[in-house]
Amino acid sequence: MAGSFLPDNPAAWTYRSWDELMSIPREERDALQLEAVRIAFGRLRDRIPALKKLADRQGTDVIDKIEDVLPVCFDHRVLKNYPIQIIENRDFKKLTGWLDKLTAHDLTRVDLSGITTIEEWLKRLEAYGMLVTYSSGTTGKLSFVPRSYDELGPWKFHFFNVNYAASGVDPWTTKLPTFFPGYRGGYQTMLKMMSLFNVEMAGGADNYYTLYDTHIPADLMALSGRLQAAEDKGDIAALGLDPALLEQRQQMLAQGRSRDGDLDAWFGQLIERFRGQKVKIGGTFADMYRVARAGLDRGVTCEFAPGSILMGGGGMKGYKDAPADWEAQIKSFFGIDRMGNQYGFSECIGNAPLGEDDFFYLPPYSVPLLMGPNGEALPREGVQTGRLVLVDLVPQSYWGGFTSGDEVTIHWDDDQSETGWKAPRIAKTIRRFSEAEGGDDKITCAGSQQAYNEFMAFVAGEA
Amino acid sequence: MAQVFDIPIIARGRVIMPGDDGVHYKGRGGADFRQADPHKHIHDLVLGDTSRMRDLHDTPMAQIIDLLAELGKRLHLDDNALLQESFALALKAGGLAEPILHGVYDALPRMFDPAMMTALVDKTIGLAYLDGWVASGGDYESVSIRAVGTRQLHITAGNVPVVAAMTIARAGLTKSDILIKSPSNDPLTANAIARTLIEIAPDHPVTKHVAVAYWKGGDDYMDSQVIRTSRIDKITAWGGMSSVKHIQKFLTPGIDLTALNPKYSMSMIGRATFASEAAVDEAAVGLATLAGFYNQTACANTRIVYVESGTDDASIEQVVVLGRKMVAAYASLPPLLSTPFPTPNRELEAEMAAIALEDDFYHVEGDTLCGGFIVSKFNDRVEFYDKLNNRVVNFVPVDNLTDVLKWCDDTTQTVGIYPESVRSNIVDLFALAGIQRLVSLAGGDPLTVYANSHHMPPGSPHDGIEPMRRSMRWVVNMQPVKKPEILQIAAE
Repeated sequence: MAGSFLPDNPAAWTYRSWDELMSIPREERDALQLEAVRIAFGRLRDRIPALKKLADRQGTDVIDKIEDVLPVCFDHRVLKNYPIQIIENRDFKKLTGWLDKLTAHDLTRVDLSGITTIEEWLKRLEAYGMLVTYSSGTTGKLSFVPRSYDELGPWKFHFFNVNYAASGVDPWTTKLPTFFPGYRGGYQTMLKMMSLFNVEMAGGADNYYTLYDTHIPADLMALSGRLQAAEDKGDIAALGLDPALLEQRQQMLAQGRSRDGDLDAWFGQLIERFRGQKVKIGGTFADMYRVARAGLDRGVTCEFAPGSILMGGGGMKGYKDAPADWEAQIKSFFGIDRMGNQYGFSECIGNAPLGEDDFFYLPPYSVPLLMGPNGEALPREGVQTGRLVLVDLVPQSYWGGFTSGDEVTIHWDDDQSETGWKAPRIAKTIRRFSEAEGGDDKITCAGSQQAYNEFMAFVAGEA
Repeated sequence: MAQVFDIPIIARGRVIMPGDDGVHYKGRGGADFRQADPHKHIHDLVLGDTSRMRDLHDTPMAQIIDLLAELGKRLHLDDNALLQESFALALKAGGLAEPILHGVYDALPRMFDPAMMTALVDKTIGLAYLDGWVASGGDYESVSIRAVGTRQLHITAGNVPVVAAMTIARAGLTKSDILIKSPSNDPLTANAIARTLIEIAPDHPVTKHVAVAYWKGGDDYMDSQVIRTSRIDKITAWGGMSSVKHIQKFLTPGIDLTALNPKYSMSMIGRATFASEAAVDEAAVGLATLAGFYNQTACANTRIVYVESGTDDASIEQVVVLGRKMVAAYASLPPLLSTPFPTPNRELEAEMAAIALEDDFYHVEGDTLCGGFIVSKFNDRVEFYDKLNNRVVNFVPVDNLTDVLKWCDDTTQTVGIYPESVRSNIVDLFALAGIQRLVSLAGGDPLTVYANSHHMPPGSPHDGIEPMRRSMRWVVNMQPVKKPEILQIAAE
């Protein structure tokens, strides 16, 4: 081991090698994490207005034991607890005021003059020094992660490390032409990470191939439900949107309708062109399966060089009735044995690579806790299943404690892992609570959510 | 291990208990049950031969009503063991607290009151049309019309067990053959009523045309076997959008679907309410009643309250006061109508906690045990309004009650209003927008408010339609006319 870890600035832990991160003995790691959580909470408790409010209400002033942090972790919905009306009215002053409560940076000084779209707003925030990205859940409402350039370096070091851990190939030194069957650019968290990190891993923009060279504007994502409802009533003009945005929506819908064919053609020519070379293929497993299935149906398989990488995510979300052997089909089509995978959520920087033993390993700067059905902390020993709570210790400008919407099983005994990595490891089967709690008889509204789902299904080429 | 209930399939007078090949089903709330495999009893459940409906067709309505009235007398929880069993299971699997469920079961006999049933049939169908061919009179004396029973599949809702009783009563009253697909959160009530019927009159035509079974939602094999034009004429589907959508997959022309899909209900408070404290108190009791009855499990329960109010601090404070009074009034509701919840609703509490941090936009009070409320400080409802439950209500300020029209559609069932003076301005506009029932929050005490919103004549519309009339087949019997000159006129 190259040296011990210090608790004051866990962001700097990201500069260590993956093997170093995975070799801290349990007892030492627990003590280190507790001290780091204690310091981070103490530093941010009264600086982040939303955290102060929560901590005041919960009566939490200090963290003495790790379970003390549970009541002061934000529910993941906190990152979208603004009224959707603000977005519909494009009231960026209010939206900025909302975001200001989640960061230690002073956003009252951001110049908001002349902004008419969410994309412009995110760009203006970036010019100010923020690095705010968004993700959109099942309701279409955008959640904004209040990240800033303070976090950029550690975020990058972590991400390179995780990619190494999940594939065995060091992206700092080995640059592979990369294929990503999706969009390019913009502030959606995954796409922003692509611009910030993956392009460099590929060896430059010319080596990074995407299906489309544009992205869905955040504004369309956020307003899709309302747009559809307005279109049904015939009063789309009343929304007062830029005609260019409406035109873009039509293009996106058209693009969605031809997506399967586009995907197949695009991949087809890359397979030819890169025959015999080492490549990296990224994207959702659903898209990978679409490509693989189309190829296998034609009797085609790929012939990339050994050492090529598959790096996926997202499970089979967005693909109905996938066969049980979808993984095997993907591997057999691409001719690549190992399927790299990572688990995490956009709120937290420290996501977990999938080890060769099919467990996700959390880095030491992501401190996991499990919550039982009554909101209680589950024991951090043996094998436990519960709602995942992560304290991300990397951010310096915002509070990284979040309660997720995922039910996971954690194996705490790191002496018994097959990889030899010492870390809490998460079993591969992960359940979204929204799915679990929905069920067959769930009463759903007929309004905006359905319109949003239909739009997204179109855009994703599923409808 | 938890108790597993054995549930029979009811097949037209026969009771089929699960044998060794019984299928184990996971129920709600750990209330598992076992039933004979429905895949092996398709022909016990459906009626392919329409001539077998002749017995019911020929039975006079008076005799059917007598039988149903007798059935009603037997539906008392204290001396009906079958009902006691279904009560126990509904209590475990459903979402209703014991005193409320007790109240619901106590109401069962009244649903079979002979005078009420007679009025119901006569109003929505017409007794004469059920018992014979009714001539049209005058120039059309040669044309007669009869309301003929149909073969119906009922996918019933489990949140309120009266649906099971209503469905069985309506089957007899429309001389129809029915198959009830029980819900997993109330798998036994329809069963218990049908078995009671078998005990009274095993060979009566009504008894011979009631089948009850459970199969899982989305069981393609069952649905494809049952939902065929050769076996089913009409489907009534209650409950979740997903179950309705699933059924639609099997619909073909010739099968008529009545989709009683999920509904939301709301209330509206006019600006004049805030002129006096007495009016605020009266509105608060009205809201507590409409939000609180049956512990907010019914579609008629208020979940959102639109208030004519500004969004400045003073106006919002007025709305907060109204909310506090509503929550306080929950405590005055009789246990028969509403009780505190024994366990919290974690999902809803997480939603409430997440927005409670945002006091620029929301005011949040209370919890999911004793009830609570959220005041939006702007003109929109919370995004999780479809999760509002456990007597938690969202108050939304609007400049004018007509602004609420944009949130109204076919899913808006019951609208409570206060004060009465707003009614005439809104009734027609809101009717056009899709709402199905306008009721009053006035009265000042819970039982009066509840009675006012439930006091309807037999045969009143339900969810905007008349389900019984719709479940008939209206057949026209045209004989040759006796006076040829009438045809001359028709030809011209």
